[in-house]
Amino acid sequence: MTESFAVGDTFERVTEDVSREDFVRYAGASGDFNPIHYDDPHARDAGYPSVFGQGMFTAGVASALVRETFGLAGLREYDTRFVAQVWPGDTLTTTLEITAVEDAADGTRVEADLVVTNDDGERVVDGGAVAVVE
Amino acid sequence: MPSLPLADLEAQVGDTHRTVEDFHVERGKVAEFARAIDDPDDVYLDEQAAREAGYDAIPAPPTFARTSFFPRYRPDGIDHDLGFELGFDRARVVHGQQRYEYERPLYVGDTLTGDTTLTEVYQRDGRGGGTMTFAVLRTDFTDESGSHVLSDYNTRIETGRAIRGEGE
Repeated sequence: MTESFAVGDTFERVTEDVSREDFVRYAGASGDFNPIHYDDPHARDAGYPSVFGQGMFTAGVASALVRETFGLAGLREYDTRFVAQVWPGDTLTTTLEITAVEDAADGTRVEADLVVTNDDGERVVDGGAVAVVE
Repeated sequence: MPSLPLADLEAQVGDTHRTVEDFHVERGKVAEFARAIDDPDDVYLDEQAAREAGYDAIPAPPTFARTSFFPRYRPDGIDHDLGFELGFDRARVVHGQQRYEYERPLYVGDTLTGDTTLTEVYQRDGRGGGTMTFAVLRTDFTDESGSHVLSDYNTRIETGRAIRGEGE
């Protein structure tokens, strides 16, 4: 965990080449079993070129950077908006940028913007996190 | 459009249903979930590593409360609509947003209860045509002592027609 934060600090984490297996593993781990995420014929019938990742899979992948950066003890808010799909083969880059740092009664309150992009630089998730750190 | 008029959805705003019972945060499940989100950090896998990192026990990842989705934790009569009558066509429902507010981390050994409140419903014209109907469902999780641990805000959108979104 980083000791101190300043507005503009950025942190990054990359998850390479997500696959159908990753979506299936997430389905099993989470109970989030919509077949659109693991059954290709079903996904094509619904008008998609293939299965795509659960939004909550990407939210989980992005949470790894939040944990790395702030730890979990002081995490107060975590927010994710699902703006585009994650396809098999995508490499996901999560970026966290500190937007506010202020003294609080119980430590330092830090706010950050969160973005997850795919290989083409397209945003798939945006959101944010708030943590109180020592 | 949902099979129910918006007024019928609005009439349920503020209603609360018990939607999660006896939700055990299990060590094996936390490890499996951490691997599934590509974050197999020692704090999620090893009790001693968790304590050395300053946690009381093995913590769960920030989105772990999603596993309360398993039917195992649903009270009788509570299905996908969490006790509400939204009238949404599931084939056109996408997951728009997910937000969490935490009092503390979830820990292995916790047993939680969840109560879900419909906090907001509204409609908007979709870019691809048709009306999009939004429902925000807040689930408040409490531990065995009745203390609030976290709140989960799930935004569901019934799209006017199949659009590119996250199927839920």
